Amino acid sequence: MTDVATTKTPGRFGRLYQGLTTIDFVGRRKVWFSVSIAIIVIGLCSLGIRGFNLGIDFKGGSSWEVQATHSSVSAMTTAVTNAGLNQPVVEKLGSSTYQVSANINNLSQGAQVAETTKVVNAMATAAGVSPVQVSTASVGPTWGGQVTNRAIEALLAFFVAVVAYISFRFEPKMALAAFIAMLHDLLVTVGVYSIFGFQITPDTVIAILTILGYSLYDTVVVFDRVRDNTGGILKTGTMTYAEMVNLSMNQTLARSINTSLVAILPVLSVLLVGADLLGATTLQNYGLALFVGLVSGAYSSIFIASPLLAMMKEREPRFKELAARVASKGEHKAFSAASAALLGSEGLQRVSGVTNAAGAQRPDGSVITPRPRKQKRR
Amino acid sequence: MATPVGTKRQLLTSLILSLVIAFGSLGTTLVLGWGPKLGLDLAGGLSVVYKPATTATASQMQEVVNILNARVNGLGVSGATVQLQGKNVVVQAPGVKDARAVLAAVGQTAQLFFRPVLCSAATGKKLTVVATGHLPACGAKYLESAANLAVTPNANIPAGFTMNSGILPDPKFSTIASTSPAADNPNSEVLLPGLGTTQRYVLGPAVLSGTAIGKAYASLDQTGAWVVAYTLTGAGSPKWDAVTKTYFHQQLAIELDGVVQSAPLILPANTTWTSYGGQGQISGSFTQATAKSLAVAMEFGALPVRLIPQTTQTVSPTLGHSALIAGLGAGLVGLALVLLYTIIYYRMLGLVILLGLIATAALLWAVISALGHTAIAPSFSLAGVTGLIVSIGITVDSYIVYFERLKDEARAGRSIRTSVDRGFKSAWRTVLAADFVSLLAAVLLYLISIGDVRGFAFFLGLSTLMDIFFTWYFTRPLVILLGRRSTQSDSALSMAAGLLTGGSND
Repeated sequence: MTDVATTKTPGRFGRLYQGLTTIDFVGRRKVWFSVSIAIIVIGLCSLGIRGFNLGIDFKGGSSWEVQATHSSVSAMTTAVTNAGLNQPVVEKLGSSTYQVSANINNLSQGAQVAETTKVVNAMATAAGVSPVQVSTASVGPTWGGQVTNRAIEALLAFFVAVVAYISFRFEPKMALAAFIAMLHDLLVTVGVYSIFGFQITPDTVIAILTILGYSLYDTVVVFDRVRDNTGGILKTGTMTYAEMVNLSMNQTLARSINTSLVAILPVLSVLLVGADLLGATTLQNYGLALFVGLVSGAYSSIFIASPLLAMMKEREPRFKELAARVASKGEHKAFSAASAALLGSEGLQRVSGVTNAAGAQRPDGSVITPRPRKQKRR
Repeated sequence: MATPVGTKRQLLTSLILSLVIAFGSLGTTLVLGWGPKLGLDLAGGLSVVYKPATTATASQMQEVVNILNARVNGLGVSGATVQLQGKNVVVQAPGVKDARAVLAAVGQTAQLFFRPVLCSAATGKKLTVVATGHLPACGAKYLESAANLAVTPNANIPAGFTMNSGILPDPKFSTIASTSPAADNPNSEVLLPGLGTTQRYVLGPAVLSGTAIGKAYASLDQTGAWVVAYTLTGAGSPKWDAVTKTYFHQQLAIELDGVVQSAPLILPANTTWTSYGGQGQISGSFTQATAKSLAVAMEFGALPVRLIPQTTQTVSPTLGHSALIAGLGAGLVGLALVLLYTIIYYRMLGLVILLGLIATAALLWAVISALGHTAIAPSFSLAGVTGLIVSIGITVDSYIVYFERLKDEARAGRSIRTSVDRGFKSAWRTVLAADFVSLLAAVLLYLISIGDVRGFAFFLGLSTLMDIFFTWYFTRPLVILLGRRSTQSDSALSMAAGLLTGGSND
């Protein structure tokens, strides 16, 4: 990274680092949208055909967990079948945790307690530990419904509150774009869960709610910059709304990537360190949904929300007219050069000064070196 | 422009204060020995969610909570909580070793038993426990037998009968402790206290259980006195008749959870009765409240409504312990990765993030410990850990937003001195907007959702608030002060290197 810091012609990374990238986010929206639509359609198809792999919290049922260093899935299965479980599902989680799940909700309350005790004892014997070491969970048939309903209520309330907030703080079109981006993340996550057959647990639901919050958080940061930059464009008339969105996106790209990395690194660590090495299933459930969602969230705030916003805004008469004005001046072709110069709201006055700076080394003028620093006041 | 910027003295004060608050509160909690209240999935333990079988009023549910609380506390489980969440009752007992034993005690539908009263027991000072089934027999003259009581109908007095009320408590029992609820076996003789009195009873084996009772309610009789009226179930009615014939004109105790609720005299109006006809009435010196509570006890057993377990979870301490290690391990590795990345990327400013995160973590730990100590907050569960891990991203992002703005400003040719002021102003607005969304999500989730989701939302919201606090009181003064001091040094750690402003050219 040090070489990047000293060289005067930044490479791909240096441009990103300095906010000088010139990716046409709005113009290539068809590509971005197609990728998302493809993933969502595949996910929805899978959902239609295979449905979800719902955990016991949604279906109702019981599960038992024990840590056993010297045991096997087949030994556990034999043990719990002998204890009277019908078609138990036995899984090995992490390095030494065995999970047995089965549905015994058809038994009476008393019989369930008795059966649970039998299974606990059988598993403890198989694992060579005391029965106290066996964890149990049992879920009645209606509990999952309650959890889901509450989650959906929370989701709807969240949607309403967020759309209201962004409409108020920014503007309704931004709220709509942010909302669609959130919906995108929801569909992608849900689709991925169905495609890979990951189990849906209440933890997954929590994770999805978090993702939506996070995706939105990311979008708000980007839109904040868009709002800043587009404040005066009707007056100056040098850039169209779409171009300004592009510029804002390129300016915040380093932040978006950094933020996403910073958010994804801990989640990746949850997924790999927490869940795989140490075998904590709850962590795995969170980690997986968060990972899928964060990637999707980072993608959607950059590639979905902003192009959508630009599309919607370009339809407004005043911005249509602005686009026509800019086109007649032919200045929009200078997009890449301008993007480097337009820094902050006062950047416009500097355009000529910066583009003429001797540091511009590429013939296409797409890379601009910073203006020489003023002597520091002492 | 002047708003976020202060004089050097103001900035220094704010910086020092924020650090003093963070580390001071951490020190205080450590000195006081407070720690976070670990949730069930981390400490091991028991969690049950009950739903009432039928619609229950708020006061009934409150009564359920009180009764369950008494049961859990009666087991000597520390740190257990019984809470109403919406229409559900949530019982949590983190840290218990044998979670299923607690579950059995909490989850039992305490049975109501009818037991014949053999005699009253005197109470002395020194009490010894006698094993179940080894109580001494009542002395003959203390027996509350039909012969000793000698109930005689007498229509001329208001009560309608006369009886021998001079039978004394048997002094033999004065050194014997009452049978504990755990040892309370329906098939053996027991010595039980009366509800709300100092009186104790020696009771025979149970002759009937509460399932014989259909409905029970408090009502006023013709004389205006409170009575408990009850109906018997179809199966219970003949059994009741048989029992009352056996114990005719004797006392029949109504026992619940090892306490005699009432010990009424079996008293049909005339002596030539054949059946109660499926209903009866208990009279005595009832107030409206005591009549009501007896009626509730008779009809519902211990609880005013029947509870159906919705989800039950017991976690063994070892599994909980490994989950805690996994969560902490994951969090620390994640944090280390994030810090490594930001320090490589931002150099000196990365160190600001490091210090900021340490201060945030210190205050967060203190707040979580204090909340855990006061039992206001949800206990710190794996969901909470995840909330915190997620919040690492949100916290660090505030720094990133600010530093990227700084880079913008510096690239636009401004000195670092001006950039830090201008950059903060715009970054602060972004951070506020974005954190507000995060907070909104946390608050809504906390209010609406059930179960683990609440713990998650709580800790997410808490750390978001911390983020706002530290961005203003810590990051702002520190970075602005650093910016003002900044010389364009060639050090790889310098702020200029982090902002890539090519300071060496100056």
